[in-house]
This record gives sequence, structure tokens and C-alpha cells, in this order.
Amino acid sequence: MKLVCVVKFVPDVDRFEYDHEKHVLIREGSRMMINPDDGCAIGFALEMKKRNPEIFIEVLTMAPASVVPLVEDILRVGVDQGTIISDRSYAGSDSWVTSRILGRYLATTEYDCILTGSQAIDGDTSHVPPQLGEILGLGQISGITKVEEDSFGSESAVVEVDDEEAVTTYELNLPAILSFSRKSKCRLPHVRFKDRKKDVTDRIKVLSNDELGFAKGEVGLKGSLTKVAKAYTRKYESGAQLRVAADDNGVETVLKFLKEKRFL
Amino acid sequence: MNRALIFIEQNNERLAPELLAVADQIHGPQPFETYAVVINGDVGSLVGQFDTVISVEDEALQAHDQMALADVVAGLHAEHQFDSIVVAATAAGKMLAPRVAMKINCGLVADVTEISRQNDKLRLVRPAYGGRMMAAIEMQGDGPVMLTVRPGVFRGPGEQHHKATQVIEPKGLRYRLGGIRQIKRESKQLSYDIREADVLVSGGGGVARGFELLEPLAKALGGKVAASRAIVDRGLISRSVQVGQSGKTVSPRLYLALGIHGAIQHVVALDEVEYIISVNTNPDAPICSLSDIVVEGDAVIFVEKLLEKIREEQINANN
Ligand SMILES: Cc1cc2nc3c(=O)[nH]c(=O)nc-3n(C[C@H](O)[C@H](O)[C@H](O)COP(=O)(O)OP(=O)(O)OC[C@H]3O[C@@H](n4cnc5c(N)ncnc54)[C@H](O)[C@@H]3O)c2cc1C
Ligand SMILES: Nc1ncnc2c1ncn2[C@@H]1O[C@H](COP(=O)(O)O)[C@@H](O)[C@H]1O
Repeated sequence: MKLVCVVKFVPDVDRFEYDHEKHVLIREGSRMMINPDDGCAIGFALEMKKRNPEIFIEVLTMAPASVVPLVEDILRVGVDQGTIISDRSYAGSDSWVTSRILGRYLATTEYDCILTGSQAIDGDTSHVPPQLGEILGLGQISGITKVEEDSFGSESAVVEVDDEEAVTTYELNLPAILSFSRKSKCRLPHVRFKDRKKDVTDRIKVLSNDELGFAKGEVGLKGSLTKVAKAYTRKYESGAQLRVAADDNGVETVLKFLKEKRFL
Repeated sequence: MNRALIFIEQNNERLAPELLAVADQIHGPQPFETYAVVINGDVGSLVGQFDTVISVEDEALQAHDQMALADVVAGLHAEHQFDSIVVAATAAGKMLAPRVAMKINCGLVADVTEISRQNDKLRLVRPAYGGRMMAAIEMQGDGPVMLTVRPGVFRGPGEQHHKATQVIEPKGLRYRLGGIRQIKRESKQLSYDIREADVLVSGGGGVARGFELLEPLAKALGGKVAASRAIVDRGLISRSVQVGQSGKTVSPRLYLALGIHGAIQHVVALDEVEYIISVNTNPDAPICSLSDIVVEGDAVIFVEKLLEKIREEQINANN
């Protein structure tokens, strides 16, 4: 059985800095990391491989070449192959183009199931997995919090989606695209100390547009159907404000306000 | 004339007015025709709101089979050539819209919170980078304007004139089945709906250690308890009361923000709140600049004191 985990590396948004004068994100020094949902997808694949060592796991990402060390660490925890799609002309691709690029590669690959995250923390559109589903003609479900491990066979998978409204169980014919939520318990394991320098370079494949063969105008900013015209931080107008401390005086002020406005 | 298609999800017919408001903002002053497509849904509730309701009745089309639904919507687009397509960003809508966009080669903008125009070009504004920024997106290519919007972000018109709706029931639609079966669904008990509360006592990471204190305060104010994601993620309360981009949009008269930082994903969901009072140890937290009253200090201690005061007064009043 072969599983392909389609994953994205994202800036650690919690450490993002914003330059208010130039209106740009300061990306330098901001660490890249695996998108949290996507880590769960790999974590699940590794658990399945523990049960059945015959399972072959490939991790696929479209990213700048600088993610190679991050992919290496994923190979050091037991993933069999890392495929990085990397081409300068792909920079600036929107989700529609990204899906077409990933889809073109996947269409040439064998798989029994595709595992992804549900939502990336940088763009957070959740577009790529359903779009891959459309390109590859596969069923797809986002927000998966649990996969019944015993059910995960060659023909179908039973998955659970636990969201704010309900816990819903679905059965999907395989191959399908299962998109994990970080609420799932699966986690990407850390590299073991003894493996931290293990040479895994022979298991990494880097592909460029030479292999995928898109025309110039089809990819990157040019090929995208949506374009960020402007990015900015939102300024809120502050009305006439009352500032007080959390002492007796502050409590009195708030109390008076609540009474005046008839909340009490 | 321009045509706007609103996808109406089965059992979410109540979202029609706010999705129509989105179409209104997209087409602006130009006259346009409104179409709804509803699959095995309640057509009756839509009649009068749209120019045309496309009602698809077909038991084989399951609400969770986005591959099949996308085929149907794309087929309708091929026939009617819509200029805009609006889908609610529900769990299902977020899986449906990208498929449709891919099928009809159309750009898609997710979770739009604002629509504006710059030099005659439409700009769809959405939070990005974990809400640290807003991104104004323009469409390229010749496809329709396609977007998803979270329920509750846009407001339907207060009153509307009744339209003479034409209902069409297309037959012989072609679609593939996605190989997905729903086996079980256990709805969660929603004890209350924060969208309906007049007063929300809302807690964030800063009150995690005393979150249970919010309930009596909410009671005293005749309101409900809400929370930021920091609290929900800690498992201290149900996700159904989360305020924010991935929670609910709320419009109470009073919003008491206790130990809430005010990340964009949180504050985008404060819609037409009349008064905000925030309590925060950091007076420069973004929520403070939105607040009518900023209380600088420990929110847990503040709530304890405030509750004590309110109780004292109630006892005095009763004596
Ligand atoms: C895609 C995406 C969607 C998201 N959706 C949502 C959403 O729907 N809703 C949401 O809320 N968040 C959402 N977030 C998360 C959001 O970015 C913030 O992380 C979150 O809102 C932070 O919650 P908080 O302000 O309560 O907690 P924190 O960030 O932990 O802030 C705590 C605040 O409390 C103050 N404080 C600390 N101690 C005290 C004390 N003793 N007394 C008073 N104040 C104190 C601090 O100064 C700080 O301002 C989303 C994020 C992403 C990436
Ligand atoms: N550049 C990419 N390379 C590989 N996978 C991606 C990429 N972008 C998005 N994905 C996958 O799609 C999911 C949703 O991402 P997004 O559509 O950007 O919110 C992620 O969790 C990944 O699994």
C-alpha cells in the first residue's frame, strides 16, 4: 500500500513580525515549520506503517528548495520518500495554480490514499485538498479528527469529523483524499537523537518545471486567478476611551457604566 | 444583465438574505438577476427572495457528496454563465466551492469579510497570515467572481421587497458520485446561541485560570458566556461559543473582553457591537483600542471584585 502525504511548509505565524512602515511581513529569520494539520497527516501514515511495515509513505510538497532540511527530518522519522516540487516560476502561485501543479505530479504517481492537512495557517484557504480531489477525480473530506485504524484497508476508510456542530462518521472509497485537522491525536514524531544526522539524501527527489512542463503563463503570479492587490494590518478607530485600573475605582467606573446603560 | 448564483445548502436556507447581501455588494449599482440553487432543500423559504430558484430534487445527490454537487453546480454554470457565485463557508461549502472553481477554471477567494472597489476593480478582503493581516484580493482571468463567506459576517437587508420568483426544476443533470457515505451523525447539544445574546461575557487566554467565574457574571448581566479560541483549545468550553473567524460572528450590545488579546481572527467577528469593555494586563493589546472602557489589570481579580460589588448591591436593594 502506498500513501502520499501532501504537505506544506509555512512560516511560524506566531513569530511573524510586521513592518508597519513598509506594510510588509518581515520574513527573514521567521522559521519555517510543517503546517500543523499536515503534521497530523504524516503522523497517521507513520502509525499505519507501524502496523504494516509494507506501507510505503511518500511526502510531497511544493516549496522553495530551502525546505530540504525540513523534509530530511521527516524522512528521519520513517517516511520513505520525499518529493519536493520547486521552481522559481512557481513562486506566487495561488491555490488554483498550486493545486494544478501538485495534481499534475500526483496524476503520474501511484497511490492508494492521499493524506493532507485541512487548512494551512498562512493562507488558510483550505482550497488545495478539494481542488486536488477535483483534478484527480477523488472523494475528499476535510477536518478529519480520527480514522478508524482497523478500517483503513485497501477498499475504504471510515473517518470521523468532530466539529462545532456534530461528530459525523463517513466511509470513503479508496483512493480518496483524507484531510486531517490538528485536533486529531496523530502527531509527527520528533527525530530520535541517534537519527539526527542520518543521511537520507538518496530518498529525496526534487522536481522542477522541466519535469512538469507548464507553459510560462500558466504558473506563478501570471497564471493565478487571484492576486493579492494589497496586504495591510487593520486599524480600528478608537472611540473616546476611558482607561482605568483594575482596582476599586475601576470596578466603580464599570459598575456605573453598566447601570447607566441599563445592563444592570 | 449580470447574474449572481447563490448556492443554498440544504438546511441552511436561512443564510439566503446575507448571501444575497454579498451579491449586492459585488454587483453594486449595476442591475443584476439573482439565482439560488438548492439541492433537496426547502424551496418555499426561498421563493420571494430570488429572481430564479433552481430546485434540484434527486435522492442520489447527498449533501456530503461534494464531487456530485460540484458537477451539478458547474453544469448549471455552463448553462447560465453566472457572473458571480457565492457559497457560505460552512464545512460543506468550503469543500464544495474549491471543486467548482477548479471545474470551471475560476479563481476563488475564501472567507471574505469585506468587499470594496478600487479603480472599478472589485477587491475581496480576507484575513491572512493567521489574521495578522488583511489581504485585498483581485480576480484575474475571465471566470465569474467566486467567493465563500462565513455565516454571520454579512448582514441581510432589514426589509426586502418581494420578488416574483421563477422556480425551475432542471432534469437530467449529469454528475459523478464521490464514493462517500455518511454513516452516523451525532449533533452536539447547543445549550445557547451566542449570536442571540445581548450581553456577552467573553474570556480569553488571560482568564484561563478562573474561567468558571464568567458564568455568574454573565448571569448577573443577563448575558451569556463566550470565549476566544485560546479557551476553547484548552477544552474549557464548547467550540459552539467561540467568537471569531473560525467561530461565530456576534453582535451583542455589550461585549466584555476579559483577558482577550484581540487577534484579528477574533475581532473580525465583532460586528456592530455597541459597547466593548476590555480587561487586560497589557493596555496595548489590540482589543483595547476598540474598547469604550479599558481596565488595566488582572481580569480574574477584576471579575471577582465586580461580582462581589454587584452582589452587595443586590443584597442592599433587597433589604
Ligand atoms: C485560521 C485561524 C483561525 C482562528 N480563528 C479564531 C477564532 O475564531 N477565534 C479566536 O478567538 N481566535 C482565533 N484564532 C486564534 C487567534 O489568532 C488568537 O490566537 C486567539 O484569539 C488568542 O486568544 P486570546 O486573545 O484569548 O489569548 P492570548 O493570545 O493568549 O492572549 C491573552 C491576553 O490576555 C492578557 N492577559 C494575560 N493575563 C491576563 C490576566 N491575568 N488578566 C487580564 N488579561 C491578561 C494578555 O495581555 C493577552 O492580551 C485563529 C487563528 C487562526 C490561525
Ligand atoms: N504548496 C503546497 N505543497 C503541498 N501541499 C500543500 C501546499 N499548499 C497546500 N497544501 C495542502 O493543502 C492543505 C490546505 O492548504 P490551504 O489550501 O493552503 O489552506 C495543506 O494542509 C496541505 O496539505
